[in-house]
Amino acid sequence: YRPSRQPNVLVPANPYLNSAIPQWLHVYSRGAPEHDHKLKWDLFRLNELEHFDALLVRLNRQDIEDIVLKYEHFRSALVIEMERRRQEKEIEMLKQSVEN
Amino acid sequence: SLAKPPDEVFDIICKIGRGSYGSVYKALHKESGQVLAIKQVPVDTDLQEIIKEISIMQQCDSPYIVKYYGSYFKNTDLWIVMEYCGAGSVSDIMRLRNKTLTEDEIATLMLDTLHGLNYLHSRRKIHRDIKAGNILLNTVGHAKLADFGVAGQLTDTMAKRNTVIGTPYWMAPEVIQEIGYDCVADIWSLGITALEMAEGKPPYGDIHPMRAIFMIPTKPPPSFRNPDKWSTEFIDFVSKCLVKNPELRTTAEELMEHEFVKSAPSRTTLQKMIQEAREILEMQAGITTNGDDSEGEDELEGGGTMVRGDNNTMKSQGSSTNGTVGTLVESELGTMVINEDSEDDGTMKRHGTATAGKDEYRPSYLDHFEKNDKEKPAAKPTQQPQQVAPPSMSPKTATPPHHFQRSFIDGDFEFLRNLQYEELEARLADLDPEMEREIDELRARYQAKRQPILEAIDAKKNRQKFI
Ligand SMILES: Nc1ncnc2c1ncn2[C@@H]1O[C@H](COP(=O)(O)OP(=O)(O)OP(=O)(O)O)[C@@H](O)[C@H]1O
Ligand SMILES: [Mg+2]
Repeated sequence: YRPSRQPNVLVPANPYLNSAIPQWLHVYSRGAPEHDHKLKWDLFRLNELEHFDALLVRLNRQDIEDIVLKYEHFRSALVIEMERRRQEKEIEMLKQSVEN
Repeated sequence: SLAKPPDEVFDIICKIGRGSYGSVYKALHKESGQVLAIKQVPVDTDLQEIIKEISIMQQCDSPYIVKYYGSYFKNTDLWIVMEYCGAGSVSDIMRLRNKTLTEDEIATLMLDTLHGLNYLHSRRKIHRDIKAGNILLNTVGHAKLADFGVAGQLTDTMAKRNTVIGTPYWMAPEVIQEIGYDCVADIWSLGITALEMAEGKPPYGDIHPMRAIFMIPTKPPPSFRNPDKWSTEFIDFVSKCLVKNPELRTTAEELMEHEFVKSAPSRTTLQKMIQEAREILEMQAGITTNGDDSEGEDELEGGGTMVRGDNNTMKSQGSSTNGTVGTLVESELGTMVINEDSEDDGTMKRHGTATAGKDEYRPSYLDHFEKNDKEKPAAKPTQQPQQVAPPSMSPKTATPPHHFQRSFIDGDFEFLRNLQYEELEARLADLDPEMEREIDELRARYQAKRQPILEAIDAKKNRQKFI
């Protein structure tokens, strides 16, 4: 028996891991930079700002993950196609050697 | 004497090596004549908060932990003064000899490492950066954990600022997932380190770090490429470390009772590899002093003691996530690259199994694990870690930045059927650099988006200080 360690983990989970991301922040993260100066960040409180920043870091990570997965899919399609060609070639060569 | 400027307290003897965040020097404490190691890390001023943490580290007093003596600020550099370990790190030794370790050597090292971990964990401290590069050896073969605390904190803080996650290969799944973790995260890293010692690089070591980050939490735990080479005890030891659920993972204390380390031979087993590494180093140092005029700078002095050329210990960690890299051709998707080689000697392979036999690009992040012949002493020592990437791939045709893949990457792959085989190969080869470019662009965009927020945060914090 091993008592669960989770309740007193030394390094707590990222508190913003599952918190909802406000729509406007989403828009901001993707928007053209020309408009960024219109947001007056100093009107927010410190803890709000830290919250937004953490959410942006999370969005960044999610986007990286999407990129990696996208390439992963493409990679597998490429590898499968190349494998298919190799097999085709082999069969071709086999046929030839049988004919000879 | 802590109040004095550090350069009055210490004489820098030579440079030992370079890490991702700074350089390490061998130094002499003038007053006592003691030889020490000093890590110099450039920091920006608000990181001074971290210095508070240092007192905690200073309390650590174990023969299995590199003793930490104190730290200084010198201009914009933080000087971390610590015990000098004359034989360097385990990864230095592997690299110098171009050899992986034997099971006996690993068992002996693991036992010392476990003592160190047990010491930290019983005080509820997490090391957070266990890897062969952070296990240092003194000349008599005592293994000691380095880079605990301050250095780790620094790494962390810096990593967070750039939203770059440090090198992921040794990270426990729960650390990557940010779901909270405790001491057993180190045990996972220990298992990875054992594999690193046995095979020359950690699992996923030859795939792009960003891909590795997403594989570690999603794939089953890694294990040996070639299990037939190893005893059942060793395999069992590693499998006990590499349990994905941290709650089911074993502790350092329990592992110290494991048959694999209980039957570990004495430290004299390590003498041979330490001696060999030292000889190679001295030879290389000789070549450098004779063959190279000015480049050696401050690095080569020292009769008798081990001298290390800057270029031998250099790392490309910093560049791995933001530099341009070459490409890796892989025969398999997602799964760990299986080592299908049959050679059974412990020679470290220069190129991973991922090279399918053709002329391949060499990803710069591989410099973590393997040293290029080009980087041996005869070559010019590269001064900045960022500069590692370009030279290592320049002899090959560097892929120019182009975005032709991106538009095709979504969804329909039918068009691949109409491409020449060579074109398929070219696309595959371009995948990693192209992905890296896309990630870099993304990172730049987010950095720009965060900038005004971070500035507002700083401004508010500064205002609070005066209230
Ligand atoms: N206390 C020490 N005694 C002797 N050599 C040391 C000591 N600390 C570090 N070194 C050497 O200096 C090199 C650089 O160390 P550093 O910690 O800066 O980088 P690293 O451990 O290789 O990577 P990272 O930056 O991820 O920690 C190491 O490879 C090691 O050989
Ligand atoms: Mg280190």
